[in-house]
Amino acid sequence: MTKHLMLGIAALALSAGLASAQELTFKPGSEPDRFDWASYDQFAKDNDLSGKTLTITGPWTGGDKKLFESVLAYFEAATGAKVDYSGSESFEQDIVIAAKGGTPPNIAVFPQPGLASDLAKQGYLTPMPEGTGAWIKDNYAAGQSWEDLSTYAGKDGMKQTFTFPFKADLKSLVWYVPENFKEAGYKVPETMEELKALTEQIKADGGTPWCIGLGSGAATGWPATDWVEDIMLRTQSPQTYDDWVSNALKFNDPKVVDAIKDYGWFAKTPGFAEGGEQAVATTDFRDSPKGLFDFPPKCYMHKQASFIPTFFPEGTKVGSDVNFFYFPAYEGKDLGKPVLGAGTMFGITKDSKAAEAFIKFLETPIASEIWMAQSGFLTPNKNVNLAAFANDVQRNMNKILLDATTFRFDGSDQMPGEIGTDAFWKAMVAYTTGDETAQEAADAVQKRWDSIEK
Amino acid sequence: MASIAGQKSRLTWAVHISVALMVVLWLIPTVGLLVSSFRTTDQISQSGWWESAFPVEKAFRDRIPGEGETQADGAYVLSGNLLTDGQNARDLKPGAKIVAFGTSGIKPGAYKAGETAQTEAGTMTVNADGAYEVTSSTSFEGSGPRVYFVADMPPAFTLSNYRQVLFSDGMGQAFLNTLTVTIPATIIPILVAAFAAYALAWMEFPGRGLLIAAVVGLLVVPLQLALVPLLRLHQDVGIGQSFVGIWLAHTGFGLPLAIYLLRNYMVGLPRDIIESAKVDGATDFQIFMKIVLPLSFPALASFAIFQFLWVWNDLLVAKVFLPANDQTKVMTVKIADDLLGSRGGDWGILAAAAFVSIAVPLGVFFAMQKYLVRGLLAGSVKGG
Repeated sequence: MTKHLMLGIAALALSAGLASAQELTFKPGSEPDRFDWASYDQFAKDNDLSGKTLTITGPWTGGDKKLFESVLAYFEAATGAKVDYSGSESFEQDIVIAAKGGTPPNIAVFPQPGLASDLAKQGYLTPMPEGTGAWIKDNYAAGQSWEDLSTYAGKDGMKQTFTFPFKADLKSLVWYVPENFKEAGYKVPETMEELKALTEQIKADGGTPWCIGLGSGAATGWPATDWVEDIMLRTQSPQTYDDWVSNALKFNDPKVVDAIKDYGWFAKTPGFAEGGEQAVATTDFRDSPKGLFDFPPKCYMHKQASFIPTFFPEGTKVGSDVNFFYFPAYEGKDLGKPVLGAGTMFGITKDSKAAEAFIKFLETPIASEIWMAQSGFLTPNKNVNLAAFANDVQRNMNKILLDATTFRFDGSDQMPGEIGTDAFWKAMVAYTTGDETAQEAADAVQKRWDSIEK
Repeated sequence: MASIAGQKSRLTWAVHISVALMVVLWLIPTVGLLVSSFRTTDQISQSGWWESAFPVEKAFRDRIPGEGETQADGAYVLSGNLLTDGQNARDLKPGAKIVAFGTSGIKPGAYKAGETAQTEAGTMTVNADGAYEVTSSTSFEGSGPRVYFVADMPPAFTLSNYRQVLFSDGMGQAFLNTLTVTIPATIIPILVAAFAAYALAWMEFPGRGLLIAAVVGLLVVPLQLALVPLLRLHQDVGIGQSFVGIWLAHTGFGLPLAIYLLRNYMVGLPRDIIESAKVDGATDFQIFMKIVLPLSFPALASFAIFQFLWVWNDLLVAKVFLPANDQTKVMTVKIADDLLGSRGGDWGILAAAAFVSIAVPLGVFFAMQKYLVRGLLAGSVKGG
């Protein structure tokens, strides 16, 4: 019985293997005003990896997985190598088990630099090929901050470039429905002062200004950390922000507590957030933006990263049905236009010739352009052709990224895991529901931080 | 006697009613899940499953097309149908009725269907069947006004969740993989555990008590602790991530409970039978095969059900011990990582996925249940 089953499976596996060779989404050579095919041809000429296999694991599943595989298809076509990508919803846990258990993939795609830095310290990451760090610095907008993000201490304590950042997410965005704004006569605010005035005005007009949802299963609370980070960047200097992330500035410093209170102004002032503070803490972040699309609108604004359109009701068109504006900076504080973002970092967990070639492939403009031309891809890479973007919405988002006077990576992702993916989240939930004051919540996080540093 | 009989019958009723209530309470989550599996993600997030059988009111926004205006009584008129030709025609199921309409998003239902609303430059009327007429003293010049309406939506159910779960690429492969993992991972531990349990129950040897204590001790070791060391061991001996690896892993994780359960059952078999067999000259192996094993059928069957369900539903062990590629994905991994969409956006299919993956364990349970009852009866008669 089992033998027959195994035979059947072997046959199926064979046929599945044959079917997986993917077609190229854009024909090489087509639309030369959008794609840099020269970089593709050059890469194909320099790299021949026929017969080699490259395994990659990452956090992208579903639609994102298909998009990434469409990029991989070009790497396969150019080099002759076979790439096996598998995405996992619990990537953060899986990669640690795989690395420690001795079964790592060639390349891992880290959604958080904190995790990559942990693995680098334990010696599970291979440093990037020579010169990658310098390349990032020279070719990425705000290159120094991207290079810093990719540089960690290895097992021997030496600081080296261990990851390659590819694909960015933009966090400092506020989503709104232009039609609702037009009907009510509201204008897109240019400064934080205007945004606060607008918030008060909407409430005075009888509406609810914000939809905020912190729910995310075991990760409940993370959307609030984005709020606090964005506000930190708008009230304190980038240096202070970096100090906060590294805990050189204590978490319960008045500067941080003020930022938390500022978030509280939006989320906890009665009438400002849909459903009140209890609903804010429990509403799932995926369901939260749906209030924008109700009639009468349950809320007028929703602050969330560039990925959120996935969760808008089916058929919603970004650009016309819904749009975004930059979460503005205080006019009264001379801090420029800071931008908060996130991104995925590619690290080599099992070295091979193909793995190093793949990192080189990610440096080519074409690797970014293929994804840009589809959807959901932003990049700080200055060499790519912005004409490749599928629509103006994404081009505008990318411009926010390229124009940023200050770019800072999601702070909670860089803090030690115990803080950034646990204590900080829980503190924000406790503060939002009113169980703790801003000071108490910040004290609790600092206490936890002190306990792990001993 | 009569009064006692009467009391008894009243008591029976009370028992029946409370049992019925318990069953209903117990079934509510399952029924909810079943109903949800026939609804789309948007529907699930809009209203509870218990409301799904009733029509719901939903507000829509539309823009009346500006082309084709006619002139009557000195006014410009636009007319048409919102339900059949509007922008929302795709979402509006047949049978939808307009109950109210309005001209602003803040009050989408300011006017009842059939009423006439005064607008800045004219009037607007929308009927329950979707027919509308908008008048204006000036030309619309190709752009019609915004209109909001509240429609009564008839209950709607869909099979799309099931279609997505059953017919998505690689689901058949994942089903076969799950069977490939589950069947050996159920049979191997039973085989090993039956021998071990017999030895621990009926064979005298030094250190037996300690061994039993060790098995009980192993019951409380969480398997998560063993994942990484076990994977390393597999890697070192050359099994790596493979089906053999996961069979061994499940066998290991299942054995303590299996041995403990079977040993306790076997120890309770009548000593007389086994001793008389020994007197007649039977070897341990013969006693095991001819007497103990047939008598232990109920315990074997119940453990088989446990182990089968546990392996069938397992996600963690499969993720760790099978290689991460499409050819070896089991159903749970397939559902969690491939079907749920990016960041879990397609969570609406979870309910359908639950019912699809319940099907086989249910079948196994009912099939085994029969043996379980027969085994119990057989045991009681022969054992006595």
